[in-house]
Amino acid sequence: MKKISRRHFIASSGLLLAGSAANAHGAFWSKEKSSSDKTVDISGTIFKNDAPDALWKWHHEGFLYNKLADNKVRCGICPHRCLLSPGDRSICRSKINHRGTLYSLAYGNACSVHLDPVEKKPLYHFKPRSTAFSIAATGCNFRCLNCQNWEISQAKPHEVRFHDLFPADVVAAALENKARSIAYTYSEAITYFEYMIDTAQRAKQEGVDNLWISNGYINRKPLIALCRYLSAANVNIKSFSDDLYRTLNGGRLQPVLHTFKTLHEQNIHFEMTNLVVPGYVDDPDMVKRMCGWILENLGPNYPLHFLRFFPKYKLNRLPPTPVSTLIRFRDLAMSEGIHYVYTGNLPRHESNNTYCHQCKKLLIERQGYHIPVCNLQGNKCPFCSTIIPGVWQTN
Amino acid sequence: MVTQLVMVREFLAQFQGNEFIIALIFFAWLILAGTGTWLSRLCPTRFAISSQRLAILSLLLCTFAVLQILTLRFCRDAFFIHGTSVGFYQTLATIFFIIGPYGLLDGFVLPYSLFLLRKNSPEYPGAFLYMLDNIGDVTGGAFFAFILVTLVSPLQAVFLAHVPLLLAIYLLISVSHRKKPTVLLLSILSCFALLCSGVFLEKISLSDREGKLVHYQESRYGRITVLQDQEQFTLFVDGAPQFSNQNQSQAEQTVHFPMAQTNKARSVLFIGAEGGMLQEVEKYQLQQVDYLELDRQLSAAQLTFGLLSPIENLHTIHQDGRTFLSQQRKKYDVIISNMPEPDTFQVNRYFTTDFFQSIKNHLQPSGVFSLSVAGYDNYLAEAQRQKVSSIYNSLTPFFRHVILLPGQKIFFICSDAPLQTDIPHLLAKQKIDTDFISAYYTGNVSQERINSLMDILDPTTPANHDMKPFLMQIMFTQWFHKFSTTPVPFIVTMALCLLVYFIRCRGEEFILFSTGFLTMGSEILVIFSYQILFGFIYEQVGLIVTVFLAGLLPGAWYGEKIRRMKSVKKFLAAGDLILICLMALLLLFTLMPDKLSMFFFLSFSFAISLICGCQFPLALCLGGDDNRAASRMFSADLVGAAFGSLVTSLYLIAFLGIRRTIIGLIFIKIIGGVVLLFTDEKN
Repeated sequence: MKKISRRHFIASSGLLLAGSAANAHGAFWSKEKSSSDKTVDISGTIFKNDAPDALWKWHHEGFLYNKLADNKVRCGICPHRCLLSPGDRSICRSKINHRGTLYSLAYGNACSVHLDPVEKKPLYHFKPRSTAFSIAATGCNFRCLNCQNWEISQAKPHEVRFHDLFPADVVAAALENKARSIAYTYSEAITYFEYMIDTAQRAKQEGVDNLWISNGYINRKPLIALCRYLSAANVNIKSFSDDLYRTLNGGRLQPVLHTFKTLHEQNIHFEMTNLVVPGYVDDPDMVKRMCGWILENLGPNYPLHFLRFFPKYKLNRLPPTPVSTLIRFRDLAMSEGIHYVYTGNLPRHESNNTYCHQCKKLLIERQGYHIPVCNLQGNKCPFCSTIIPGVWQTN
Repeated sequence: MVTQLVMVREFLAQFQGNEFIIALIFFAWLILAGTGTWLSRLCPTRFAISSQRLAILSLLLCTFAVLQILTLRFCRDAFFIHGTSVGFYQTLATIFFIIGPYGLLDGFVLPYSLFLLRKNSPEYPGAFLYMLDNIGDVTGGAFFAFILVTLVSPLQAVFLAHVPLLLAIYLLISVSHRKKPTVLLLSILSCFALLCSGVFLEKISLSDREGKLVHYQESRYGRITVLQDQEQFTLFVDGAPQFSNQNQSQAEQTVHFPMAQTNKARSVLFIGAEGGMLQEVEKYQLQQVDYLELDRQLSAAQLTFGLLSPIENLHTIHQDGRTFLSQQRKKYDVIISNMPEPDTFQVNRYFTTDFFQSIKNHLQPSGVFSLSVAGYDNYLAEAQRQKVSSIYNSLTPFFRHVILLPGQKIFFICSDAPLQTDIPHLLAKQKIDTDFISAYYTGNVSQERINSLMDILDPTTPANHDMKPFLMQIMFTQWFHKFSTTPVPFIVTMALCLLVYFIRCRGEEFILFSTGFLTMGSEILVIFSYQILFGFIYEQVGLIVTVFLAGLLPGAWYGEKIRRMKSVKKFLAAGDLILICLMALLLLFTLMPDKLSMFFFLSFSFAISLICGCQFPLALCLGGDDNRAASRMFSADLVGAAFGSLVTSLYLIAFLGIRRTIIGLIFIKIIGGVVLLFTDEKN
């Protein structure tokens, strides 16, 4: 065996050490720095050769995809449009190319199942006091740095504990628990689209409502298909800046705006949430622009929720949002013309309540998830008979 | 030494405050210094030796000392997204990048100084320089730990530590040059100006865009800053937000979940508290509220900015919680532990069976104890499940009833009396009014969620003990999981580097490598053991470190004295044997921890470092004390120390526990002894 010299050794080990650090560092930076401009982009990438060799019980062929040359496939569910060679896994971690066919591995394997008040979604204009049977499978097409559910949204289907709960079982469980609706929530429901749409179809047949809680990063065609079964949605508008979408979430703004327009066109009741992240999303001018766009494209009637940020996941070195910022933004949005604006997690504050946009009288008083007062008459204000937007069939 | 300690604190403040980061910094520092030392062997041929060049190198050291701190502060956001935490590999790469120039130069200057001394006195022994270096280390370490840390800011500390060096450079030039070189004198002045400007940039470099920096203080335990954004004050410790005056939900849950369980509470002990908690506890008719907070400056800042408001019958105690409990016999109706996450060895002590036993001894027969850890929204990840299970399994031997309440935090409520989960109902019975609990409890802490949490607890998960901190393993796993990385590439790279090093190094170098490894490993071990048994008492931990460094000095002196005796090998072997005996003694003592005293730890530290210090000149003697050999020996010692700190902190203690770590270190030294048997004596 040829002996290496000391100089050779130190150079080699130095290179190895630096290479190892740079490799890890490089991988990190290369993921984050966009090649086109200075905006940091944390979008996910395809997992090459990461698919399992064999399919498991919880698989389903992709709802919408194109078969291409060389056994490649292109997923059509979300704007990432992942191009997968055989053996590759999608950005959302749920889809794989198995021998030239796109499969979802998140079908019938709900990893999180809970009964939640519908107000927790948050949906304030949808059947108050009702309970939503809430499910999630793994995966997300975003990489939000402050994700509340990163343990499942940033995981692959086989990496978590799950319940064996196929669509028929989900509907049966919802009925058994007397839930009025099924919420597809927690992680990102777009990534388990096949599971969601099949469950939603069955649920609708059984008279159970379907609630879609999402980042809205979906293509028009699958969304229209989903709308046939949807009762309501809450879609997150993370910010009104494409740069911030890329930096904090790993997505783009425009497709989300298209989603709002599509939901509006399809007459689906939806509410919007905006998490006010200090130092990033707490710019009043941005809120003004956002409200301007909403009013111009969707009208004033869709409720908007401003939520308080708390340090989470990787974005854990920022302070929480000051309460006064939320209140200021609510006032700002209402003064811009949006009729129903709420703030999250401020108990006993008027910003939790629903007031008629016409006569300003109290319609629904909310103390957290407890609703002591609900004055609606059908879908109208009992004081001035104005129609209040929403789905109001109350308990 | 001062620069090193300042940088450790700076990295903790900018990245993450746990022992793994400390281990990484020491590792990087020692590896860089070792490499710099090793490179100095090229000096005689590639880099002329002169006092003028030593002056230039020293001036560069002064410059780098300031620049690396400012670079770290100003460039963090250039490399990483503002407000985010950073993973293992990113931290490692940043540490090497930031301290690289200083570390390499620092390592280079030590043997370079020796070569310069030998230029005039060829027989000047390398061990003398080793001793001088140790004197500097001891002085710097003690100066920082006992004086600078609380009195001055980091850049002021760097300024104060480098002024003597600037004077020394001036003297060096004055002695060696009749006509002083103007360029060098100007450089000294520029360097002085840079050190001064650093002091003025202190606060500017700490400003944040989320609010106004209204308070900044370096306490012994970390950097405390308070940011004001409108009416909200947020207190940060080492860059991570800890308390806010608008975190009502946290205050209500922490106080009322345990307090609701008993309607006859008269005395309450808080181990750590935050905004709003005291106001909540005031709703009960209490005769005494004891509040324990180790860091005096932290609680002062909390009080100043309304993060805590004093209440009647409040008794604030600035003492380590475990020390306080070990010295008290008083019993409480309710004890509320509000500690941060157990992701440091220091905090882990508040989540062990040993601590829970102590709590039980201080509770009234039907008293209630509560603690909390980070929770989850909708899914309990596997590592977190293990963590929660471990704490649960550590609590159940001491309490008949333990209930878990899930949410953003998971609360463990423990008592020998029966417990109930319907908190709003219990509070209503006591006529206690709350904002958050009454509004959100039923949706967030439903019986369905409580049951599903209890159902997934793993009864086979090991309990968490002082001497075997299982939670530290979990923390290590969680850290990597969060950033979707694995330590395997790092471990494989390090193992390969070590393997090649061992193949290429000489026997004497290996002896010094093992000595360096043992020295650093023992130092970390002694500090951790001491903290576990006696609590974190800054001055005493500082004293242990100082004694540890101080032992090296007489050791090296004695080694130098006896190295001319006939059988150096025998002395080295004897030293090894004593080291092994000492480690065995420590092992014995950890089996009977109640027999240990501060005196034991100090004596042990001194003895270990004395022998290790003694071995340096002896091994130098074995390897030949020429310039090249000296470089190699210094380097072997530093590389050994680097791996000692890394392996002991990152792996041995976390994964094997204290006792097995001692056995591991003994084993490594035995290998060193075996190598010694096959080493030729040159002198």
